[in-house]
Amino acid sequence: MRFARRNCFEQIEPLLGRVEHPSRYLNHEWGAQEQQDGPFHVCLLYADVYEVGQPNLGLSILYNEVNAQEGMSCERAYLPWVDMSALMRERDIPLLSLETSSPVASFDLVGITLAHELVCTNIVETLDLAQITIRAEEREQDEPIVIAGGPSVWNCEPVAPMFDAVLLGDGEGALVEIAACVRDARAQDVPRHELLMRLSRIAGVYVPSLYEIVCDETSTRWGYAVPKPGSGAPEVVYKRCVESLARTEPVAQRIVPYMGVVQDRFALEILRGCARACRFCQAGMTYRPVRERPKDQIVEAVERGLCESGFDECSLSSLSTTDHSQCAPILRELGERLDDRGVRVSIPSQRLDSFGVDMASIVGSSRKAGLTFAPEAGTQRLRDVINKNVTDEDLDRAAQNAFACGYRRMKLYFMMGLPTEDDNDVEGISSTATHVVELGREQLGPRSKVSVSISVAVFVPKSHTPFQWAGQLPLEEVHRRQQLMLHAATNRAVRISYHDAETSQIEGVLSKMGRRGFDLVMEAWRCGCRFDAWTDQFSFERWQQAAQAVGIDLEDVACESFPLDARLPWDHTSPGVSKGYLQREWRRAMRQETTHDCTRDTCVGCGVCPTLDVGNDLAETRA
Amino acid sequence: MGEPCRLRVRYVKDGRLAYLGHLEVMNTIMRCVRRSGLPFEVGNGFARRMRIQFSQALPVGAASVGEYYDLMLPYPIDVTQALDRLREASPAALRPNACKLLPRKVPALEAWVDVSRWDVVVQADGVDANGFSRGLDQVVEQGEIAYMRGPKLRRIPVLPSLMSCHATDVADGVALTMETRATEAGSLRPAVLVQAVLGTSPLRVCWVGQWHEQADGSRIDPMGYC
Ligand code: SF4
Repeated sequence: MRFARRNCFEQIEPLLGRVEHPSRYLNHEWGAQEQQDGPFHVCLLYADVYEVGQPNLGLSILYNEVNAQEGMSCERAYLPWVDMSALMRERDIPLLSLETSSPVASFDLVGITLAHELVCTNIVETLDLAQITIRAEEREQDEPIVIAGGPSVWNCEPVAPMFDAVLLGDGEGALVEIAACVRDARAQDVPRHELLMRLSRIAGVYVPSLYEIVCDETSTRWGYAVPKPGSGAPEVVYKRCVESLARTEPVAQRIVPYMGVVQDRFALEILRGCARACRFCQAGMTYRPVRERPKDQIVEAVERGLCESGFDECSLSSLSTTDHSQCAPILRELGERLDDRGVRVSIPSQRLDSFGVDMASIVGSSRKAGLTFAPEAGTQRLRDVINKNVTDEDLDRAAQNAFACGYRRMKLYFMMGLPTEDDNDVEGISSTATHVVELGREQLGPRSKVSVSISVAVFVPKSHTPFQWAGQLPLEEVHRRQQLMLHAATNRAVRISYHDAETSQIEGVLSKMGRRGFDLVMEAWRCGCRFDAWTDQFSFERWQQAAQAVGIDLEDVACESFPLDARLPWDHTSPGVSKGYLQREWRRAMRQETTHDCTRDTCVGCGVCPTLDVGNDLAETRA
Repeated sequence: MGEPCRLRVRYVKDGRLAYLGHLEVMNTIMRCVRRSGLPFEVGNGFARRMRIQFSQALPVGAASVGEYYDLMLPYPIDVTQALDRLREASPAALRPNACKLLPRKVPALEAWVDVSRWDVVVQADGVDANGFSRGLDQVVEQGEIAYMRGPKLRRIPVLPSLMSCHATDVADGVALTMETRATEAGSLRPAVLVQAVLGTSPLRVCWVGQWHEQADGSRIDPMGYC
């Protein structure tokens, strides 16, 4: 049912004194678009609490774009924390937007971010709280059109039944096109099905209901999607891709939150895409090609953004900030201009070489907090398998430079369970950390306070990567390798933390399944799963209970590897990277052959540029 | 250019922003100051934070007609212009309404302001002003209030923290005008008192005045300091 549009703040106001962090629900932040005249109304929704969703840069970009359109308004909504949603259900208050406290079910278009796999039960919860029909195919004619987009659309099948459409790739321009299409179709009173067919003709838009799932000997057990006869939907939907980041508005984040949010600083996207081609990394494949903003635009935008927002910290964000061709001059110029204003500049993590440390030193990264590097694997052999083009010498030089610059702490990120990993690689994680401690003591004296902490995640094979065919390790084997790693770490200056293997297994399951996976998602939600990305809320038992109810063996699904020539559940949605390239990369991985970065050398033929008619767009030649 | 000094600013906290916590208010105000483009001093140390002092924390959910902060200035500035610029850079519900230059060496606001006046509205079934007053008498007789603040059990003596409390019947419940004094044992928050008397939370709390009490009992308003 479509709800009437009206301000319902007076319904939640009496609840504010009874919940944790009432500032999650207040709105009226500096920079929020108070004027919401429409008449076409869009609501962008992040299915987690305010402080997690608000810093999302993608949503900020889209919020500004839609609000800048004549006749269109855009509001935000977040999933209330469990205390507030319980009170809202008790009083039959539906999920409300922030700006005007209107029911989300009163909007014309609702856009939900697919931030990661574990957000799936929160999306069900969000729709249920909003009182929007959960399954798209059962929605009534006048209910909102619910679409998805974001970094985790690349195997969206397990959540696809909830969406009328899914936008693949960059949202700039695309969301406004979608909104205009919905607005025009509504004005003509077009039936919902016809409206969806129109949406499917927009580049980058995938309409799940126009595809059927076929399971045969060419596919995995999850089948593959083909357009329904007569739907006119394309066999493969390719992503939208902005040709030049430099031609887009750099200052996206205009809203200044009251409450402390997860990234409580002004963030500026200085480049998009990464071509280092790490074989486990989905973002590295799906955000290609690389597009940089030029230095002068970045410096001007940082100054303007800080002035307008009042933040005292600025983060230059991207997948690999220190890869920007003008990284050093950008950081130096910002340092000179911002130093006397007590503003800090931060870069998300450091490139694992001497240059990365130099960049951290320019921005004056906290000596106390230390530096963060991601070797990902513990031996050179395995780093070659995953194409982490980092040598032992790079690591040594980075560590030595860091100690010379006065850093005493280092954090190293690794992954466990990567394809071909053996016990030697696992022990290599601990010995790499010990080696870094020894380097520090050699340089600074045997009693120096050097410490290295390592954080070890469990590898989750992701779609559209060269490792998409791989299976995950069984839980028991993950636990054994974790113990092996712990026993190999004898140096007291090394601290080890590792990710919960059970959570990673659920992530693995959701990354692998096809559309039938939605039954598991729904059942998990019915069993009470919410906020699965929050360690204190995640319950593996509930997921197991749900899996049993729908006849799925979680381990069996997560650990299954697929034949290289099988049709995969996500083949019909493409970031432009060809399957041939991914297969080639898999074979090279098995031979421990590395592949170079196409922004520093020649094209390696991933297929993105010719398929999408785009190219790497660098401000200068990369060193 | 003149000597370093402080800019004392009075601002409101009302509407839905009454639900901001003290830390949230402080962060928001520091951002307002940066947006205003006014000069300010920055501390040493890695964080290089703005040098600013705030008055006592206002409880979450409580509004105020006059909150204060002192911004450390490297040199004196025009106060009328400063007020305009701060007002432009602040959300309406946290907007400054007065400011004044003070010498650098004055006592820090948080400890100096020790007397507060509150307007409180309470609603409880069958309770009128008389009923409230009788309940209050009992609490005063008990001598102290024990209450939970987060996971911690706290105790606060009712007297001398509670200086006065008058209850009157109004349309939506009972209106209280109360004055409290900060003591070594802490400050008595209106919500704690109402909870002790009625076992319920107040409907509305507004901080309507703050002063420094001198030895002779006379009061100085923070903006009246010179
Ligand atoms: S097509 Fe070539 S140049 Fe373009 S992203 Fe792929 S490898 Fe790089």
